[in-house]
Amino acid sequence: MTKRPNTKATKVTKAFLLALLLFVVFVPFVLAFQRPQRIISLVPALTEMLYAVGAGPQVVAVSSYDEYPPEVKALPRVGALLDPDTERIIALKPDLVITYGSQVDLQAQMKRAIIPTFDYRHAGLAHILVTMTELGVRTGHGAEAEQAVAAIEARLAAVRARVAGKRRPKTLLVFSREPKTLRNIYVSGGRGFLHDMLEIAGGDDVFKDLDKESVQVSTETILARAPDVILELRPEEIPLGQPMQDELASWSRLASVPAVRNKQVLFISGHAVTVPGPRVAESVERMAKALHP
Amino acid sequence: MNIRRRIVTVVSLFAIGAIAVVLWAPTVGSTSISLAKAFDRSIPWEENVDAQIFFVARLPRVLSGAIVGAALAAAGVVLQAMLRNPLATPFTLGVSAGGALGAMLAIAFGLEVGMMGVSSIPIASFAGSLLAIGIVYWLASSQKRGLSTNVLLLAGVTLNSFFSAVILFVQYMSDFTQSFRTVRWLMGDLDVGNYSPIIAALPFIVVAFGVFAVLPRTLNLLTLGEDVAAARGVEVVRAQRLAFLSASLATGAAVSLGGPIGFIGIVVPHLVRLMVGSDHRIVLPAATLFGAAFTVGCDLAARTIMAPLELPVGIITALIGGPFFLWLLVKKS
Amino acid sequence: MGKSLIQARETPGRRRAVLSAEQVSFRYAPDGPLVVDGVSVRLAEGALVGILGPNGSGKTTLLRLLSGTRRPSSGRVMLGDQPLDRLSRRDVARRIAVVPQETELAFEYSAIEIVLMGRHPHLGVFTVEGPEDIRIARDALAATGTTHLADRPFHELSGGEKQRIVIAAALAQSAALLLLDEPTASLDLGYQLEVSSLLRRLNQDHGVTMAISTHDLNLAAAICRELILMRDGRVLAAGPTEEVLTPENVRRLYDVEADVHVHSETGHLTVVPVRRVAR
Repeated sequence: MTKRPNTKATKVTKAFLLALLLFVVFVPFVLAFQRPQRIISLVPALTEMLYAVGAGPQVVAVSSYDEYPPEVKALPRVGALLDPDTERIIALKPDLVITYGSQVDLQAQMKRAIIPTFDYRHAGLAHILVTMTELGVRTGHGAEAEQAVAAIEARLAAVRARVAGKRRPKTLLVFSREPKTLRNIYVSGGRGFLHDMLEIAGGDDVFKDLDKESVQVSTETILARAPDVILELRPEEIPLGQPMQDELASWSRLASVPAVRNKQVLFISGHAVTVPGPRVAESVERMAKALHP
Repeated sequence: MNIRRRIVTVVSLFAIGAIAVVLWAPTVGSTSISLAKAFDRSIPWEENVDAQIFFVARLPRVLSGAIVGAALAAAGVVLQAMLRNPLATPFTLGVSAGGALGAMLAIAFGLEVGMMGVSSIPIASFAGSLLAIGIVYWLASSQKRGLSTNVLLLAGVTLNSFFSAVILFVQYMSDFTQSFRTVRWLMGDLDVGNYSPIIAALPFIVVAFGVFAVLPRTLNLLTLGEDVAAARGVEVVRAQRLAFLSASLATGAAVSLGGPIGFIGIVVPHLVRLMVGSDHRIVLPAATLFGAAFTVGCDLAARTIMAPLELPVGIITALIGGPFFLWLLVKKS
Repeated sequence: MGKSLIQARETPGRRRAVLSAEQVSFRYAPDGPLVVDGVSVRLAEGALVGILGPNGSGKTTLLRLLSGTRRPSSGRVMLGDQPLDRLSRRDVARRIAVVPQETELAFEYSAIEIVLMGRHPHLGVFTVEGPEDIRIARDALAATGTTHLADRPFHELSGGEKQRIVIAAALAQSAALLLLDEPTASLDLGYQLEVSSLLRRLNQDHGVTMAISTHDLNLAAAICRELILMRDGRVLAAGPTEEVLTPENVRRLYDVEADVHVHSETGHLTVVPVRRVAR
């Protein structure tokens, strides 16, 4: 006669616990259906982001130009900006394809094949971090993305702090030129992530008045603007000795430029520097080290 | 009617004009400089920005422009006479396509064949031009009757198409940066920043002009027709060989120096003929001088109109050349 | 029109300009038909020879062989006692001038510029035409009645005027031998008479040897003292005009029955076609 009220409460508790158990067991399944498992990325910068937020295991194919992280070397390739291999992409049965914003044909084809796409548009440094967060959420790694972004922001803040108050040298940031001559020189202008990186690293982009990401400059303009530092970005390391001498010799013709006079022609090598992805923090640190040793 | 006097007078006028332009051009630009400072020997070289701008940035550029313009205009005149076709250009016979292919391969494969201060691309481009010249010449000479202009034209046009296809293929296989660099090279660029490429191209251009010097009256006769010229005493096959080889050599050297800048080889000869008639003894030297001045002028516009940004010089020559031809067509009809 | 027009440059030891073809044959393509087949021609000094024949008979090609702009596939052409192919084009051009059937210009030249180009074989590489050359050119214009056209652009002239300028250019070459391909083809009757009499004067008064290719039978009869009849690349008949220009030969040449007799006033033969006949 004392057991009856207990039985009712126990039943309710049992039901509740059972529901809780079911919920805990099934939710991951539900979540898993929302999280893409077969991701194809055509944008090397975003591939790096995927691995940085922990979505690496979900990546099944990358673009022809992907190199980092090393895991991607074993993955199949599906073309790039100009020549995406739609057939191959569809054959790999992806559930998310990361495309360039300008690849409208590819996006239309993915829509017809009912494959979701994540379309990336190029912008400044801040946009890199925003994209990383979005990508994290989209691939079910929101929390990790937040952490990764926070870590990058912390590193950038550290650099800012270190160079604060120091004199900002007028810097020419060169990312392309014809080898061994001064022809077809392309530099960073007042926009874009290269410019943003330079600003954080404590350099004053000497062409920041031009509202363009990349500017082709003549020898006359370089002489006129007289940068204090010339920072050249190179995909490969230049060996010391004769090759380095040859590279410096090209610039030595512009003898009146302060960067040349004071031997401030510096090289930063590696593909990482020109990829607007998670390694931006490392690149900014390298730039800051070069400009403010 | 004193022919010698007429030739000397007209050519002298053109020479004065051309020299004036070439002397004036380095003194103007997107940055204002003080000529007094630029020539002031007492200021150390490393501190003299005005001198650097004048001697390193502008002077080589003006000299390149003058040489490229002179070579392309003269080559245009010679080829138009030899092919008896006012629409022929120095690029008709495939020389610039060969040059473009050479440059492209150097860019795409990162070839390192630079020497003596000249980088790989001009050298590869010149090699490509020589290859094209060789192929066209061999094809046209295999006829029993010596150099047939019809076969020459056909071979040149075919080679242009073929090389263009190979160029497209190489571009497709290159990555984005390389693709962009080739497209940029095709628009022409005179900012050499260095006297070495000019000195390297000069011997070939001098040789070509040496041959041009003996051609003018022969060219007059060639334009009447091969049989008529032969009947008047012209060794037609030899004259055509000399004309083709010298014009192609000049074109190849010009393209290796400044890229394939279009319209100079056709606008300048036409303009000059409108001004002085068709006697090649006047047209050839006048076009040479006018071509130099025209190119230097276009480059001046290219580097000042949108300062500090620069337009490729090939765009300015096209912007002038296109409407000029429309006007010519309208005038003739 | 002075003597100086033709004999302006007295080449030392000037040879008798006799031109002869010995059994020449020619084909354009290695496996093509023979356009000229075993033809022998002899132009004596001072001769005025007409080459007659229908279209495709090889007249123009024969003239090309005689002027040296084509080499015969077999046989040879002799200029004086030298083989034609051994001489440089300049040497040949000083002695033989050619008036082609048509002149197509790619660029604009004035009439006097065209005539002056005839002086090319007499000028060095860097020599510019001097007063003597200009005088010869003006004499040539006067001889063809085209002085008033000197500074006009060539392409603005009528067909007949163009032809006379081209003849003047050939005259300016001061050659002793003139080869003409259909010289009166596009001329009005009046100019036909003028050119015919000009040619005859040049031949008789100045000793210019001439060979004229034409299908104008009456022109040939009027001025040529000798005729060569050609058909299908072969010589049908050759010899003095009175002997060769017979109704029989006209029929063999053109498949036309014609009336040939001496004209009372002019004194030379005239040919009037009557009817076509079967081959």
